[in-house]
Amino acid sequence: MFGEQQRFMLFLIAPAALLMLLFQVLPIMIGANASFRNWALYNPKKTWVGLEHYYAVLSDPAFLYVVLPNTFLFMILSVAGALVAGLALALLLNRPFRGQKLVQTILLVPLMVAPVVAAIMIRWIFNDQFGIVNVVLEAIGLEGQPWLVQRWSAFGIILLTDIWLWTPWFTLLLLAGLQSLPKEPFEAAAIDGTTTWRVFRYLTLPMLRSVIVVCVVIRAIDAFRTFDIVWTLTGGGPGRSTELFSLYAYVHAFLNLDLGRGSAAAIIGGLIILVIGVALYRLVDRIAKA
Amino acid sequence: MAAISLRKLNKHYGSLFHAVKDVDLEIADKEFVALVGPSGCGKSTTLRMIAGLEDITSGDIRIGDRIVNDLPPRDRDIAMVFQNYALYQHMSVYDNLAFGLRNKKTSEAEIKAAIDRAAGMLGLHELLARKPKQLSGGQQQRVALGRCIVRNPEVFLFDEPLSNLDAKLRAQMRIEIKRLHAAIPTTSVFVTHDQVEAMTLGDRVVIMRDGRVQQVGTPLQVYGKPANKFVAGFIGAPAMNFVTATVRSDGGATTVEAAGLKLSVGDAEARALGAYNGKSVIMGARPEHLALGEGASGLGFDARVEVVEQLGSEILLETRVGSHGITVARVPAETVIARGDQVRISAQPGRLHFFDPDTELPITG
Repeated sequence: MFGEQQRFMLFLIAPAALLMLLFQVLPIMIGANASFRNWALYNPKKTWVGLEHYYAVLSDPAFLYVVLPNTFLFMILSVAGALVAGLALALLLNRPFRGQKLVQTILLVPLMVAPVVAAIMIRWIFNDQFGIVNVVLEAIGLEGQPWLVQRWSAFGIILLTDIWLWTPWFTLLLLAGLQSLPKEPFEAAAIDGTTTWRVFRYLTLPMLRSVIVVCVVIRAIDAFRTFDIVWTLTGGGPGRSTELFSLYAYVHAFLNLDLGRGSAAAIIGGLIILVIGVALYRLVDRIAKA
Repeated sequence: MAAISLRKLNKHYGSLFHAVKDVDLEIADKEFVALVGPSGCGKSTTLRMIAGLEDITSGDIRIGDRIVNDLPPRDRDIAMVFQNYALYQHMSVYDNLAFGLRNKKTSEAEIKAAIDRAAGMLGLHELLARKPKQLSGGQQQRVALGRCIVRNPEVFLFDEPLSNLDAKLRAQMRIEIKRLHAAIPTTSVFVTHDQVEAMTLGDRVVIMRDGRVQQVGTPLQVYGKPANKFVAGFIGAPAMNFVTATVRSDGGATTVEAAGLKLSVGDAEARALGAYNGKSVIMGARPEHLALGEGASGLGFDARVEVVEQLGSEILLETRVGSHGITVARVPAETVIARGDQVRISAQPGRLHFFDPDTELPITG
């Protein structure tokens, strides 16, 4: 049915296709199926309930007024924070100085730390009783704070952790982008008497734009489904005040063991990412063509 | 007023590479000087040191009455054209031209006037709204020229600005640059590896090799009185023919001899070659100073044609003389001649060059 070359190509694709089928397509189908049924581990009858779970999720005030805003706020601030920090470090590393290689290596360390390990570390640092932050604060006469027990300080710490973890990733990619820029326009600008700020604003930034946009798209989609550091740092608490979308789905599916409801939440989240992703890719496309 | 003066200029890269060695050069106000040499000869480095894009290792650079050794490029009042144009790709042509003036917070009205003037000179008016990507190489290089003109600097620096263009455009842009310099006389330094560009553009030509200046002079001087064998071979196209020959002087007549070749030289040359009797010298003859036929007595030799290059305007004849090397002659285009023909070639009297084989310096009386 196929020519030899086609058969060979299919043979090469087969393992990856099989893996995708088994571990991505199939689970999504099973999950989608579950989202339309009453599928709880203590009630294995799997009664068809249609869109009831979707309705429940979308009318859940916790989902609408806490989880979704948290998720978007987290996505925007985390990506923006890591982008700004990453760009600043990349600009710093782009000019040669003594010990530059050393600094570069040290800056990459967060990239090598497992997010869960980082989160545990941060949790201890901000522990209200024996965390180093409070110890230091008290040593200089300030009052220690119950960092992870207040909504916005907890949210802030989650954000900072995520930014800390992802800044090196931005740094690395943006530095590669910076180093691939042609030298001459910058030399021309130097001769033209351009200030550092104007060079950044009118040369570096526009020339780096496509790299920045690709980084932001990848990272934004990834940030939308952040789970590990939030789960480890606060578990979504205090209360459910730092819960993100992925925690919401996880809690319903695997703590409340309501697989139907959890699946519905996951599918909703998936659709949201799809829309955001397509919109962002359109943006990339437009910018790449500009 | 901006003369440029380089004194004992040196550039080391690390401890291994000595790119520019003791360069001394005086460029007068409004003069157009071409720096020429093979790649790696230090000409671009020298230019970039004048621009302030490279640090200097030692020596002095003076622009006008200021020593600019440690001044950043923006304070040197220079403008530079780069080989790959170095335009700001995401800005329109107009914004490219305006960028340097906006840096100086010039009023938009003045900017517009300056751009109008430059655009008129370079024929850029209909391109002002376009982005560099939408322009051809020649148009981009004109925009780069315009960007320099609008700034009205003391000095123009050109770093091989024509080498990315095709031959026809290159010739066209060469004329354009020449016309531009006539219209706005500004001290200019032009770096190129193309000796034709250097000769046609430069009021004076500076020939460099291995980081050292070989000769500074007007085009006619470097062509007619090359300072050494390198300059003689570098300037002129096709390049000068070199033959190692032995000087024989008996009584009145002096001849130079090589295999298949015996030429008698004129009085002035004979005096110069006096000290070389019985020794070998390097004899040089430019292709345009060799002609078919017997010519003046004692200056003819036999050769066998190996390659005939018909250029339309003339023929380049590559011939073998005796057992040794190829000799190129330029002969009229109508000449009927073919590969393998035996021909008689003669040198023009007084047009032979002689160099000492050890020092490669010219042997003059």
